[in-house]
Amino acid sequence: MSEIVLQAKGLKKSFKSPTGLLTVLRSIDLEVYAGESVSIRGSSGSGKTTLLQLLGGLDVPDSGEVKLKLSSRTMLSPHRCLGQGVGFVFQNYQLMPELNAWENVALAAQIAGQGESEKEAQALLALVGLSHRIHHMPTQLSGGECQRVAIARALINQPAVILADEPTGNLDEVTGKDVMNLLLEVVAQRNTALVLVTHSKEFAERTQRRFFLSSGVLTPA
Amino acid sequence: MAWFFHLALRQLFPPGKRFPAFAIVSILGVGLGVASLLVVQTVMNGFGEEHRLRIRESFGECVVVANRPISNVDELISSLNLEEEVLSISPYAEGPALTRRGSFSGVAFVRGIVPTDEEIPARGYVVAGDFNELDDGRVVLGIGLARDLRVKVGDKIDLWSPVMVDQAEKGKAPLPAELEVCAIVRTGFSEVDNRAAMISLRRFRELWSLGNKVHGVILRLDDPSQAPAIAARLNQGKPDLRFVPWQEIKKNFLEAIRFEKTMLFFLMFIITLVASFSIGSTLFSAVIRRSREVGVLVALGAKPWQLVGLFGLQGLWIGALGTSLGFVLTWTILSFRDSILGTINNLFGDGDMVASVYQFARVPLHYEPMDFLIAAVFTLLVTTLAGLVPALWAAGRKPSEAMRDV
Repeated sequence: MSEIVLQAKGLKKSFKSPTGLLTVLRSIDLEVYAGESVSIRGSSGSGKTTLLQLLGGLDVPDSGEVKLKLSSRTMLSPHRCLGQGVGFVFQNYQLMPELNAWENVALAAQIAGQGESEKEAQALLALVGLSHRIHHMPTQLSGGECQRVAIARALINQPAVILADEPTGNLDEVTGKDVMNLLLEVVAQRNTALVLVTHSKEFAERTQRRFFLSSGVLTPA
Repeated sequence: MAWFFHLALRQLFPPGKRFPAFAIVSILGVGLGVASLLVVQTVMNGFGEEHRLRIRESFGECVVVANRPISNVDELISSLNLEEEVLSISPYAEGPALTRRGSFSGVAFVRGIVPTDEEIPARGYVVAGDFNELDDGRVVLGIGLARDLRVKVGDKIDLWSPVMVDQAEKGKAPLPAELEVCAIVRTGFSEVDNRAAMISLRRFRELWSLGNKVHGVILRLDDPSQAPAIAARLNQGKPDLRFVPWQEIKKNFLEAIRFEKTMLFFLMFIITLVASFSIGSTLFSAVIRRSREVGVLVALGAKPWQLVGLFGLQGLWIGALGTSLGFVLTWTILSFRDSILGTINNLFGDGDMVASVYQFARVPLHYEPMDFLIAAVFTLLVTTLAGLVPALWAAGRKPSEAMRDV
């Protein structure tokens, strides 16, 4: 077995609601290994996105901890090292509307403080099949193309793990399949781990390990 | 270039958009605020400068007076001629007198001057006649006094000095001095225009029995702004004389102009403040609209200070561009001020107020670099703060919350 790149222990998360405290996640444990793909399925409102946000450091758990591998020796809370070690792919692509495809990809590297990002951004856009559209604005790209740009953006800082939140949720079936094929292909090529949140059983079955989130508990599917 | 610098520029001026409404409206708002502030300030400065000039020209840049008529005037003039700062010296005598023409009469404040003195400022304010014709038998009148007496150039007036009253009390029957009006002046100062009568110094001495004495000496200086310091220096060693700089002559009037300008600055600055608040609220709604983007930037590793930079810079640029536009608008409005004023006068039928009330040929201007600097600094400060408030709010949010917003 290869080394752990993402580790969650005893994650618990609740939200205040008009009817009282709503517990979304109860003691979640998860380990993700280098280069493997993991899927998490669950019904709407089951807490999949919340779990992904905790894993990526976009939110902090009420209790428990998340550790992310940054180098061969360092494991850190992702909350404390946002932009490093984790790449995000969102359902709505979340590209900057004022930047073209190439600038959107390079932006992630610039924020992370990496130089020479322009060439790497071009190479990644070529990898996702968009070398001919690097100067196009998001409004000039289709949904599938936007998601390809988002995948290239997630990869540019060579993260140990990519967290993908329903990346095909806004796409038609054919385009969704194309994007999923691309995502699984590029993470395999680059030995990057993938945590995929999806509703689709078909896409989930293409990952190496599968989990189901229900009533705040994560169970192997 | 830092990424947030580049992104701020793109968010303010999105590529491919012909009319970036937010940026243009905000910049225009600040520009108009700055322009109204500076137009008012520059015109107020112009009025102030014009009034200062009138004061200097009407009353002199430095006046030498004494508690009693000055007898050794030639000696005084010789000593003042040695001073480098003194450009010209004009002795004078003055006093009230009764003037009359037919059944119209008026009290005049008569000044005796050397008619050949080319430095007498009243020469520049002649509206009728010829100042050069002033001699022992002629008089120059202020326009108000000329109107009171119903005289024009070439008419004759009678003048009674207080000395003649003394003679009458002693049982003599003095005859008034008959003087022909050779010129009429309009300085814009009502107290000068309504009462001034200028005759030759020699005739004044005769009518007032002054001998070879004078009441004072008017000095013209090479740097009028330094008049208080020069006056203080010249006064040293001359305890019987008092050197009064022009700033002291109409101190209250000058203070009132300065106070008016300060008050107008604050009133006009409120306009800029309102424009800046509208930028703040527009930026705030822009930040809320971009909540998801803010969340994504944080997910990509953006630091809070970089988010503050992203939105704060937009406020700063709006302020900088708005201020520059305000400068250009100020210059344009002031360059066409006469046409603008003419249009306003035509629309409202007020006539030429500048000419009739202030006696200025055109709206006076004085560009003061410090006013422009203060306006620029204040505006930049306020617009940057207006951008910083929503920026701090955005930077303080949890990315998971920001990404949940629409």
